[in-house]
Amino acid sequence: MHDQLKSIGFAIAMCLVCGMLLTTAATALQEIQEKNQVNDRRKNILLAVDLVSREKTYTPDEISGLYQAYISKMRVSPDGDIVAPGMAAPGQQTMPIYLYTRGAEIRSYIIPIESQGLWGKIYAYMALENDGSTIAGFTVYKHSETPGLGGEIDTQWFQEKFEGKRIVDKQGNFVSVGIAKGDVEQRVPETQQPHYVDGISGATLTGSYLSQGLKKSLAQYEPLSLSFRKNSLKCRMQEAQPWCETDETEQN
Amino acid sequence: MKLSKTKAFKTFAGPAWTENPINMQMLGICSALAVTVQLKPAIVMALAMTFVVSFSNLIISAMRKIIPSNIRIIVELAVIASLVIVTDEFLRAYMYDVSKLLSVFVGLIITNCIILGRAEGFALSNPPHLAFIDGLGNGAGYGSVLIFVALIRELFGSGNIFGFSVVPQAFYDAGYEDMGIMLLAPAAFIIIGLMAWLQKYLTTRDEV
Repeated sequence: MHDQLKSIGFAIAMCLVCGMLLTTAATALQEIQEKNQVNDRRKNILLAVDLVSREKTYTPDEISGLYQAYISKMRVSPDGDIVAPGMAAPGQQTMPIYLYTRGAEIRSYIIPIESQGLWGKIYAYMALENDGSTIAGFTVYKHSETPGLGGEIDTQWFQEKFEGKRIVDKQGNFVSVGIAKGDVEQRVPETQQPHYVDGISGATLTGSYLSQGLKKSLAQYEPLSLSFRKNSLKCRMQEAQPWCETDETEQN
Repeated sequence: MKLSKTKAFKTFAGPAWTENPINMQMLGICSALAVTVQLKPAIVMALAMTFVVSFSNLIISAMRKIIPSNIRIIVELAVIASLVIVTDEFLRAYMYDVSKLLSVFVGLIITNCIILGRAEGFALSNPPHLAFIDGLGNGAGYGSVLIFVALIRELFGSGNIFGFSVVPQAFYDAGYEDMGIMLLAPAAFIIIGLMAWLQKYLTTRDEV
């Protein structure tokens, strides 16, 4: 009996000590870790539009400098209207969007992707050209897929395959972009090839979850893509109003 | 007394060479395959592992007389897990890029059989200073294999060392190509196999 009590007492003391240690470490380092995460997300946005290169390393200051110079974060309504942060009508649902601007021109827009994965959520960014249909870049910044299999989605070779793929077919209908099971050239009919990228062997499920997630996110932003496609919403950055209005509204 | 005859030296040199955890005992292979594509993550992993194994040995050895034997494995694991999580938190705060590369493998140090094996097999029956040195020796043994494998894989797989390209362009112009297999896990298997053979050959030759 005495031995058991001693064991229980020792276990409780152990839990307290370890718990305190871990709490201290986690809270003390939390601020720095969060800064790293913000910086990493910004770096991935810049990567998606080719403003930084994967081969080089960048200091956090360089990243935030580039980010502030070229990227602006906006909100977009479900109808595809861009609203500046804080300008949305009360109760209006808006989704985040990042615009890559050079001078007065919107070069591309970056959609945050939140997809189901095999083991957990996959977080990514997809940059689309200002024609509203061509993919400019794709980066995954957080996932919990199996390393070596599904985990390959965060590698350069996989993400580069997305560049130049199209989310609309020749008739201009939305088809999204998907991950093929295996090589695109062998598995996908030629007319469909612009909408598929090579799959990862051993990661069929990750691929199909990510395809679904991409389709869902791209469909949500489809109204915005549509207005880019119709009139190239590209060169209407105004000094006073740092967001875009479309010619479309006037023509209607 | 010569340095090489002291008990402390033997405690260090044993696991670092003659009882090398990877080459001789075939432990910790999983992480050795996974994190050795490039040198930088391999070195960080080796340091993290050395830190965890030496301090877990030290702490467990210091408590060895008061740990109730019926819950000793749980206590050992609690110590190891706490150390690993602290390491992981530090990496995330100060070496975010490397910690993303190492992903789950930092957390998986907990399940690395070298650490629990040393805690059970050495720390519980030896005084703290020897246990600490034993941890350092195991870390050195594990780390040196990791770094060596990573050096070979990065050099032949991508022509780089520490991310700097070292294979001259003239080689590529003359038809040299990087070995794709070096970037895949099976390459580490082959290299570790060859290293184990070499080390067994060298150590048995000494004895004869």
